[in-house]
Amino acid sequence: MSLQNILTNWSQYRKGHEQGGFHDYEHMWGMAVDLNKCIGCNACSVACYAENNLGIVGKDRFEKGQGMHWMRIERYWDEPNLAPGVSEEFPSRGASFLPMMCQQCNAATCEPVCPVAATYHTPDGLNAQVYNRCIGSRYCSNNCPYRLRYFNFYSYYDWSWPEPLNMQLNPDLSVRDKGVMEKCTFCVQRIRVAKDTARREDRKVADGDVYPACVQTCPTDALVFGDMLDPESSVTKLWKAHQVELGKTKQHKDNEELRGYRIFEGLNTDPCVMYLERVREVEV
Amino acid sequence: MKRYSNRLYEGLKRISLGSAALLVVFAAVPGTGWAEVPNAVAPKGAHAGDDVPQPIEFPHDVHAKINQINCMYCHTYARRSKVAGIPPTSKCMGCHTIIATDKERIKKLTEYWESNQSPPWKKVHDVPDYVHFTHEKHLDRFLFSNEGMDVERVSEVCAFCHGEVKEMTVAKKVKSLNMGFCRRCHEANDGPSDCWKCHK
Amino acid sequence: MSGNDINRRNFLKVMGWGGAGVALSGCDMPTTVTLEEGKETVVSYIMPEEYVIPGQGVYFASTCQQCSAGCGVHGRVREGRVLKLEGNTESPINTGKLCQMGQSGVQAHYNPDRIQKPMLRKGGALVEVTWEEAAAALADKTGKDSSLNGGRAAWLTGTVSGHQSVLLQAHLEALGSSRHYTHEVINNAVATQVNQDMFGEVQPTYHVTKAKVVLSFGADLVGTSMSPVHFSREHTKFRSAPRGVLIQVEPKMTLTGGNADLWIAAKPGSEGVLAMGIANELLAKHGLSGDALPGGLRDSIASYNTDKVVEITGVAKTKIVEVAKVLAERSPSLVLTGASTEAHEHGYQSVAAAMMLNVILGNIGKTITSSGEFPFPQLTAKRGDMKGLLAFAEHADKGEIDVAFFYGVNPVYTAPKFLNLEQKLDKIPFKVVLTQFYDETANRADLVLPLASALEDWGTHVPGYLPEDKIISMQQPLMEKLYKETHGLGDVLLSLLKMRKPEEYEGFADYYAFLREAFAAIPSDHKGGVGDEKFWMQALQFGVIPVNVAERSIKPTPIEADLPALKEDISYPFYLVPSAHLGLWDGRHANLPWLQEAPDQISKVVWGSWVEMHPKTAARLGVENGEFVRVESMQGSIEAPLYTHRGIHPNAVAVPLGQGHEEYGRYAKGRGVNPLKILNPVTDEKTGEPALYGTRVQVAKAPFDEKQKMVRFGGSETQVGRKLVASITADVFNRTEGA
Repeated sequence: MSLQNILTNWSQYRKGHEQGGFHDYEHMWGMAVDLNKCIGCNACSVACYAENNLGIVGKDRFEKGQGMHWMRIERYWDEPNLAPGVSEEFPSRGASFLPMMCQQCNAATCEPVCPVAATYHTPDGLNAQVYNRCIGSRYCSNNCPYRLRYFNFYSYYDWSWPEPLNMQLNPDLSVRDKGVMEKCTFCVQRIRVAKDTARREDRKVADGDVYPACVQTCPTDALVFGDMLDPESSVTKLWKAHQVELGKTKQHKDNEELRGYRIFEGLNTDPCVMYLERVREVEV
Repeated sequence: MKRYSNRLYEGLKRISLGSAALLVVFAAVPGTGWAEVPNAVAPKGAHAGDDVPQPIEFPHDVHAKINQINCMYCHTYARRSKVAGIPPTSKCMGCHTIIATDKERIKKLTEYWESNQSPPWKKVHDVPDYVHFTHEKHLDRFLFSNEGMDVERVSEVCAFCHGEVKEMTVAKKVKSLNMGFCRRCHEANDGPSDCWKCHK
Repeated sequence: MSGNDINRRNFLKVMGWGGAGVALSGCDMPTTVTLEEGKETVVSYIMPEEYVIPGQGVYFASTCQQCSAGCGVHGRVREGRVLKLEGNTESPINTGKLCQMGQSGVQAHYNPDRIQKPMLRKGGALVEVTWEEAAAALADKTGKDSSLNGGRAAWLTGTVSGHQSVLLQAHLEALGSSRHYTHEVINNAVATQVNQDMFGEVQPTYHVTKAKVVLSFGADLVGTSMSPVHFSREHTKFRSAPRGVLIQVEPKMTLTGGNADLWIAAKPGSEGVLAMGIANELLAKHGLSGDALPGGLRDSIASYNTDKVVEITGVAKTKIVEVAKVLAERSPSLVLTGASTEAHEHGYQSVAAAMMLNVILGNIGKTITSSGEFPFPQLTAKRGDMKGLLAFAEHADKGEIDVAFFYGVNPVYTAPKFLNLEQKLDKIPFKVVLTQFYDETANRADLVLPLASALEDWGTHVPGYLPEDKIISMQQPLMEKLYKETHGLGDVLLSLLKMRKPEEYEGFADYYAFLREAFAAIPSDHKGGVGDEKFWMQALQFGVIPVNVAERSIKPTPIEADLPALKEDISYPFYLVPSAHLGLWDGRHANLPWLQEAPDQISKVVWGSWVEMHPKTAARLGVENGEFVRVESMQGSIEAPLYTHRGIHPNAVAVPLGQGHEEYGRYAKGRGVNPLKILNPVTDEKTGEPALYGTRVQVAKAPFDEKQKMVRFGGSETQVGRKLVASITADVFNRTEGA
């Protein structure tokens, strides 16, 4: 990548948001996570390990927060807007589960701080990480408000893939080594295949052609993925139905009861993942 | 050293070594006469690869030059997949159950075939683990969707990255295939410049 | 993305079953990697099939073997290797989805600790032998010319179904033995007995999606209860507007409890009383009819007035009233039970009381229907339970067993200490363990036969829980065997049969040949009008065979529940909850690193054991989160770090199943504790099933152990005021999304 290219990309990032246009993007991959459906079972997370060659770090390194779960389930015990301030003897409305993966922000805070342009925005609206470019400064992860970037503190292969476990490694993406930052890519290798197939068949990528591993395996259909530039895609329709729009720091809804929201929207990160509020019956 | 994931690291080392070699070799071996593929600027640069001894000294020259066999007849996956593929033994035997059966090399091949073994070919061309390269798209751009190109002339497109294989017996790496090599060609031919198009 | 249009016959050929001289040689294993020319070997195909394109994945259908739910899978195969498993969209069990255990099937297959050669005990130690030597030893001990009295041979297996089960029964028949013991720690033995007595069938169909309210007495529907992925799919439909209400009653929060609208911690063992109390409210206050109930039962219900129930269960009166109200107002509903209700001394009575609610609420025929008459009963799942292990141990102890075969079980690990199983096993002169891994039971075997992995083997399976659409699920090899000297269960069974009845079984070259013949023999009315060949190809292509089932209806016979008073035990004040979670299951997945590193859904602990306790209880005992405690029953004690949270009854302590292996490979060995070891010898009085949740324990602080310390997934327990998970009420949800 030439210097000029880096600058073009950066200026695109700088302008894109304020000028309200993603029109020159080829795709804008986005997601919707329905917390009414998510049961916190962890299938997405393990599917991600299987698809993306995620290393096992072991107990001690996990304790230091070095686990490589690109897709993880947070679990909270409080429900601020159902029962604010109530501390019961039992969590009688269950737990609150939250699947967290890279939010693929359009105004990503990780991108401008990378000293070597190893992370940048693709014309697919993805927040890319180029592993062989990364020098491991970790500025990006320090700057990510969602804590969704994972650093390879060690070379994990001896422990993670002793023979023949290494035969399971997905050849469509690299195995990252020590000193490299890594993150969720919305399974870009699958997107690549879908685009190649569509191109071969001389058509556009259709809704449902490609699912990231987490979405494909999710037993509850809590995750919806698609191209937000495709007006017919289910993810576009879902965002629309819940009146959440890209490029805003605060959503204006006709109906305040609609469930869609984006996490830390106020930080002006413009994430491509919308969450739908968790639901509980309070009449029992 | 049996460390699979070291691939990235090894690759990085290799890239830098490769670039150094390129600088030296480039001055010493000027570009030879390139075939004129229409709508394409052939990539420049050369690389002095090692001789790679193969289990059978496969004569590319006999097949591709003398007998004029199309590259894609044997490397049949090139137009359909990322990898061009080493032809399956069954393909070799398609001809060599009849042709040149008295030759030493064919006898050896027949031995492999009859014992249901694949000849342990050595890899000559490779890109690092973090590079996504697809033969399919490159053939499409320079051959199949290229106005004025003819499938018969595929070897000229192959030669962009593999050199004049039809002049060789076993293949030898004569292009550096490093990022600079790729980038110069992409710039000259208006190829994509998005990092994630090629890096994985 | 599926490889449906692929000619399956070719696949078989490639896999080496189609005739001589056609073998696929996989691509180079990724070991030595370098970019230098001439260093790495590339292995070309010898004779590839049309659909094999290097660099592109092909998908083949099979069946997941990680638990007995029988989900359909698609294996992504590339260059001769399985890379990933996805759900099979054709299977009505999981419709294209998979849980974390299913995803980890590839790690069981590529596990670095697999046994690669048979092992025979010689001079006290297990030594590797050839398969021929192993077969000779088998023939010597179990063949028709051996001195074995066939009636004294036994099989101890996990849940088995399909044609493997058929062959297994055939082997027992050939031996002249009826000793087939089945053993599973996570089972529904008590509930299936109640179902049998009440509805006339062990497993009726539950229609979660048709219910407006699900009242679950400890049924971990989306977790470990019956069919995790299937009920997760149902849960999603259940939760779409108009949204169903889930009420969960259990001593320790399960994954399903974590998703409940109302989670109730009743005193452990008092669930049946709560059910009676709710029944009383329904009959007395909401005017529901108890006419279908026998008079004695109606009287019994009447005796459980709400105040009495509050006293016994410790559940607030308002909650009992509310639950009864919502059940009465929103019909139909569905009442289910799970391990925490079933596995007590009076488990049968508690389940009977809970299921009786379905009768009062008129759910029979609506949300509980008959599963019909499965046309091939010999293929259906032979369900395992704990009492199967008890019977086996007893008979071994009496010296009734001379040869024992073990498959799909690890009894030395799962047997409670009181059973003294090791000593009883020593009384069996010849123990044959069929396994993929060197586990605790293999360690005590006389002969260990290494099995092919689930991704290398043939088989048919009838899922443990069948939804409305009934199927037989196909299992086929997704790749060549990693180790030549491993064999599939079917092939081992056939060789055993050939040793007893050569005249009948010599004709089958292998299990594949047997299956082909078995398929040809399926009655034509089950083949949908296609020929044998096409039927077989379709089965492999889709991975499932739809089965027509004769309909039946259920006429319930309510059982009089006789619930004893709960006993107090001053020296052992707490109930031990040996909790199961989706992940390590009963311990069989402890050797899969992905599942070790995947946090437990509720506690978020990884790579080890923990003790769950209510903060109130912990405060009373003077122990804090992360400190070690000793959990002691009359049978022994275990020590593990403490995790305090409010999702557990103050009278209960929970220790998860799964860890505490003494063998079982590098990822499992020497990690955590096994709560099964300290179980008391209490059983459900009616069914004889050991009461896993009936053990009483005392808890005290223990010294810190750096090696077994608790490591949890980081992050906060609360949202600290940030809008991370926002919640709204079902009322609003139904209003905005109901239309």
